[in-house]
Amino acid sequence: MLDLFPSRDAGPFGRRQKHARGGRVPVTVITGFLGAGKTTLLQHFLRTPEGRGTAVIVNEFGEVGIDDALIRDCSDQTALIGNGCVCCVVRSDLQNALRKMVIDRERGEIPPFVRIVIETSGLADPGPILQTFATDRSLGSEFFVDVAVTVVDAATGLDTLGWSSESRKQVILADRIILSKTDLAEPDAMPPLRARLRELNSLAEIVMADEGKVDPHCFIESAGDGERSAFVAEAEHSDGITSFVLTEDRPVNWSAFTRTMETLIALRGADLLRAKGFLDVEGCRGPVLVQFVQHLPHPPVELAAWPEGKRGTRIVFITRNITETEVRALFDAVRNLILVS
Amino acid sequence: MSVTESPLTKGSYDPVAWNFKLIAQHTLDGFGGMGEGMSIQIAPDGRRIIWLAHESAPKNFTAVDVSDPRKPKVVCQTDLPQAYMRSNSLEITDQVMAVAYQCQKINQKPAGFELFDISKPENPKSIAFVDCSGPHSRGVHQLWFTDGEYVHMAAGAADFEPTHPNDDQCYRCFDVRNPSKPVEVGRWWLPGTRKGDNEPPPARHQKPALDKGNRAHNTNVYPQRPDRLYLAYLDAGMFIMDISDKSKPKPISRFDNSPPYTGFTHTVVPLFDRGLVIMTDESTNDNATDWPKLIWILDARDETNLVPISTCPLPNPEDYKTRGGRFGAHNIHENTPRPTSWQSDQIVLGTFFNGGLRAYDISNAYQPKEVATFVPPGPAMSKYASIQLNDVFVDEREIVYTVDRFSGGLYILEMDF
Repeated sequence: MLDLFPSRDAGPFGRRQKHARGGRVPVTVITGFLGAGKTTLLQHFLRTPEGRGTAVIVNEFGEVGIDDALIRDCSDQTALIGNGCVCCVVRSDLQNALRKMVIDRERGEIPPFVRIVIETSGLADPGPILQTFATDRSLGSEFFVDVAVTVVDAATGLDTLGWSSESRKQVILADRIILSKTDLAEPDAMPPLRARLRELNSLAEIVMADEGKVDPHCFIESAGDGERSAFVAEAEHSDGITSFVLTEDRPVNWSAFTRTMETLIALRGADLLRAKGFLDVEGCRGPVLVQFVQHLPHPPVELAAWPEGKRGTRIVFITRNITETEVRALFDAVRNLILVS
Repeated sequence: MSVTESPLTKGSYDPVAWNFKLIAQHTLDGFGGMGEGMSIQIAPDGRRIIWLAHESAPKNFTAVDVSDPRKPKVVCQTDLPQAYMRSNSLEITDQVMAVAYQCQKINQKPAGFELFDISKPENPKSIAFVDCSGPHSRGVHQLWFTDGEYVHMAAGAADFEPTHPNDDQCYRCFDVRNPSKPVEVGRWWLPGTRKGDNEPPPARHQKPALDKGNRAHNTNVYPQRPDRLYLAYLDAGMFIMDISDKSKPKPISRFDNSPPYTGFTHTVVPLFDRGLVIMTDESTNDNATDWPKLIWILDARDETNLVPISTCPLPNPEDYKTRGGRFGAHNIHENTPRPTSWQSDQIVLGTFFNGGLRAYDISNAYQPKEVATFVPPGPAMSKYASIQLNDVFVDEREIVYTVDRFSGGLYILEMDF
């Protein structure tokens, strides 16, 4: 878009921001299979100082089986639930519910929330919810998904992961995994569960809950804007899920990157489960955060500074039946074609 | 740390801290009624001192050591000689501070401005006092001093008789290159506002209760265009002035939103690289009876033809007008051209009295977007149960300083966007 009032302080992606969220309302998506303990953990979080000013959206389908003390079946009404928090239950249109919350806040009809927590149905694939913030321009300009948290029942989780593809998807897309009901699990059940979780998601932080409580920062701290501390080897496992990291020491040509991703999305968008990371883009001072959920890119954001001063492209891919070799080859081919042209 | 709260009507509104993090508050030893002068000095010993003008007597100015913004310490606090005086405005260049003095009525003294040597912050020393009192003058309302050479101000004068008592302050410029002997070098007023002008007096286009005058307010000059003055003129709108010859300031363009708006153009800040001008109104009446008072974004690519393109959005006044005090725009961070001031043409921070402090992302100038809000509880001992944030300044470390008009003193914040 032609900018009639360009600023030397802004990069090609607009204002350089302190963090990826910028001024947008942070969103936490909590998912987890039926009975994993999402509501219990959320209930504890809402009572902490860190939880103050949270707006909860319970995205439910079918029967609502929720603790009345926490969340009433309020349909389209938004209810106050203490500590400056509000809640509404949404059965169908999450986008409208989010928009209504913003409007109600502007009108002063609900307290001024500072974050949103979306609790999904136990059977939900969190992918479409994450995509909502990329597809809807108005929501994407108001909200930013800081972290996707998946709650896994330590006692039954391994078994559930075996037969439920929804539960596996919930783990694959998690930034953070909380193991609940650890007091009910057999001690020797934990290592194989952890191993299976790592097969499905080698990057997510795994945190143990304790009697329905977990450090409230698990719900509010972001996933690290794509920066991971652990080395990620290409890991392939059942379902054909693979995760790998593409790195590049040289600055990346933005046109080459976007053309590559467009091609990848056009050919295999459904299998590009998630890609997220920092790019060192030619002509940019700060890292450019990019994020894709299947065929949908989120708007890129340039940050004001490189984390820990370390410059370099690093993008984490989680794919199904797409190998690292194939993705690298596509990047190299497009880059070479652009260089020649 | 705790924020002091008013004992009056507690819980009448929900405080908000969104994308601002409060790191300290200081009630300035019980004299927390602050005006519109906020300026930072790096003292010769390396300390970072913020100098703050009080809104009214008994105090003149207070110096606060903010080297560690989490632990602000008062290092100096001075008194005004008369209860009918206010300072309200000050600016610093290096180790020299200029302070404005205005009286409640015409013909009162002392009224004018004073220059101080603040190289020893605990003991400011007067260098010169310039008398601006007179039979029709209340003194100096506002001043701007950032280049060490000139003080630009909104002031009355002994030889300035307005055609209407509300129009008693014009633009004046003083050469202070010899700070012990300031010399007036130029003056401008809206034609028709001085007795003896050939032009007729300007029409009073407000209801009497809202007639605040056709007079100067903020008088901003920036090194990017030292030949330009960005002059706010209350009920007469704003002017871009040619001051290449300081003895003969000439208007280049004017923008006036009133009527239908309710006047009191307060501050004009140019964003040179972007071809924009930010203009603020001031809300001057309680309970939002002068709503709307806004921050305006003007297209200034052609400085002879200013075009308003947007305003910074505010919440529904119905939610704020019953909280007590004023609600609406006032001051913004002005990108003061000093090394100790943050510079941004992407973010505008403004104070809105009981609307608190709000930050706007104006990267899309047609659609300013609020990205941070700070509305603290009403402070203890205030005239009102609500906060009345009066001014804001951001230093080059991106630490935000904002002050309450009545008792809350200084709030120090970090931006988290």
